[in-house]
Amino acid sequence: MIAALLKVMILGLVRDRGALAMTFLLPPLIFMIFAAIFSGVSGDEMRLKIAIVDKAQTDESVQLVTALREEPSLRVYGGRLNDEDSLRRAVALGEVDVGLYIRSSLTSDTGTAPILIVADAGRAMAGPILSGHVQRLIARKMPGVTLHRLVPTIETLSGGLTGAQRVRLDASIQAMNQGKENAAAEEESSEGPLVAIDTLDIRGGNSAVSYYAGAIAILFLLLSAMQGAATLIEERNSGIVDRLAVGSAGVDVVVIAKFLFLTLQGMFQVGLIFLLAWLIYSVSFPGHFGLWLLTTVLAAAAASGLGLSVAAACATKQQANTISGFLVLIISAVGGSMVPRFMMPPWLQDIGWYTPNAWAIEAYQGLLWRDADLQALLPSMWPLALVGIVGLLAALALSRHRLKLG
Amino acid sequence: MDASVGESHPVLSVDQLNVNYRGRPVLKNLDLTIDPGEIFGLLGPNGAGKTTLIRTICARIKPASGKILIGGKEHSQRQALRQIGLVPQEIALYPHMTARENLMVFARLAGLSHAQALDALDYAIEACKLTYQVDDYVHTLSGGWKRRANLAAAILHRPTLLILDEPTVGVDIDARNALNGVIKDLSADRLAVLLATHDMDQAETLCGSVGFLHDGALAPVGNPAQLLHTAYGERQEVLVRLREPASPEVCKMLSDLGFSNDRNKLERRQLLKITAAQQTRLTKMLEASPLRIREIRFRKPGLDLLFLKIKNEQHPT
Repeated sequence: MIAALLKVMILGLVRDRGALAMTFLLPPLIFMIFAAIFSGVSGDEMRLKIAIVDKAQTDESVQLVTALREEPSLRVYGGRLNDEDSLRRAVALGEVDVGLYIRSSLTSDTGTAPILIVADAGRAMAGPILSGHVQRLIARKMPGVTLHRLVPTIETLSGGLTGAQRVRLDASIQAMNQGKENAAAEEESSEGPLVAIDTLDIRGGNSAVSYYAGAIAILFLLLSAMQGAATLIEERNSGIVDRLAVGSAGVDVVVIAKFLFLTLQGMFQVGLIFLLAWLIYSVSFPGHFGLWLLTTVLAAAAASGLGLSVAAACATKQQANTISGFLVLIISAVGGSMVPRFMMPPWLQDIGWYTPNAWAIEAYQGLLWRDADLQALLPSMWPLALVGIVGLLAALALSRHRLKLG
Repeated sequence: MDASVGESHPVLSVDQLNVNYRGRPVLKNLDLTIDPGEIFGLLGPNGAGKTTLIRTICARIKPASGKILIGGKEHSQRQALRQIGLVPQEIALYPHMTARENLMVFARLAGLSHAQALDALDYAIEACKLTYQVDDYVHTLSGGWKRRANLAAAILHRPTLLILDEPTVGVDIDARNALNGVIKDLSADRLAVLLATHDMDQAETLCGSVGFLHDGALAPVGNPAQLLHTAYGERQEVLVRLREPASPEVCKMLSDLGFSNDRNKLERRQLLKITAAQQTRLTKMLEASPLRIREIRFRKPGLDLLFLKIKNEQHPT
């Protein structure tokens, strides 16, 4: 008896291409996307995009810049930046993941770190990652700099290289070897004096929350639009569309009404997410309400258009559920709704630009973190508008076509 | 209602209609006319082309050739399509809304103003005798009430042609009779009705004319009583149902009386021109015979029998 029921289940799976894809194709695909992301984070594939301004122009700084350009895990920004301000602007505008400013000779002992790393709060992790790269390259390729910078440290630790101090230095080195770092020594001998990190926090508040408010907003816009759009199939199968097709309204009105409803529903949904982000985490969206509203309308319209075109293309609700589940998971993973895109390898980042998630996140980041104006946001907004319009037109055309097929 | 729909035009006129699907002819040289107040029964087996004909009339399928006029206007014109009230086979209503809410939505979608919609609701609720269930959610209504609400939603804009696709499928006899009554009342108001159905009893009860759609052709077409008279004259169907398979002797006896000679069949039919006195004699003779009889029935042949006859003539087995 169990065997008979097993046969039913097996045939049900084998004969349902959608279920087969969800069961055996989607998991490896999602795994591959996340493997690509996280192997990149821990390996050399991450390839941060950096901007460099070398004000010092010493032999060592030129050597460091050359080493950074040759570093396979970094991409150096090709644009021309002359000073600290332009570097900070490039970071703030998101043109690069992180900036590196060499303000004085690497061997100078002025008390301030000769290297300043400028990171955006939305990509705060990029700062320490670049700092690690810089120190590794200096230690490996410019040992003289390391040694030179160690002398004051040794003198600080030993108080001069007298016999007694030599004993003290040996004890300190021994303690370091045993892992019992002297907190003061650690502070002075580590990245502090050579590299300083400045994280840009234009708006205040929690950068990660700001990022994920946008990322989660577009993810759920897509999920609910796909679910809502599937009612188009129910109406088609129940004969409602047949009835309306002969009336004054015609079938287009069904699709257009759904598009408007899903867009409106999406706006409220996103509004709720950002309201919580504002109340609990001080993500400042009321200050940019107009631009936020425009971005939200476009993101919701993009999700609605996409959802309706999927529903119009599918013959059954089951088919639509399978395809939309597949689509939302893939584009959300690639588009940065699950993991920030700067952590992805460049090829995956490039693919991400074909998803509405990437553009929506970019637009929300722009207005919330970079105080971007409408002109600066337009490049992120028009792809969303395009997805919405093309999706709606496709849904209209497909619905008319389906009506003729019956 | 469109003022140009005059009395001079039939409500629906189909002339030499040919429809192909993937290169295969589905409807062939089909002619059909429905006048105001007429109920036309479109009969035929599954796959005969009934739904294709309805979809073609509703301009969803483009014919290969031929002409369809609704109220004298080319059927693909929006003005002509508005003359149609379509009752799909499925319950084309929103289940999470009450019948009244549904009717209001469909009235507005039919292009009626709020005030006109309220009047239309009163008319449709009254016409479909929906008053007592109109404020119930559609998903809570029984099959018969759902069918009434489904019909009500199609007449809100006062169409001149009502197309019903299997309107009584899956409902009990009482509900079917009630719906038949509603359809009859609507036709009395000069609404032309195209009724696609498998239910031969319903067609016989309701329709002023019927057409058998078989292999894409509509023939014969006519009044049900006239069609039956032409096919069977005064003959009656005699049905003999046996309790057990007939022995060779019984088979011979039935065969001598003109019944089919199939040993394994428990049910034998024969068409006989027979008077009431002859009916009594035949019954007594069969009862006195060695046949173990479950039932003997005499009846006038119905459309179901005519339908089988047409099918067998076109595809003799």
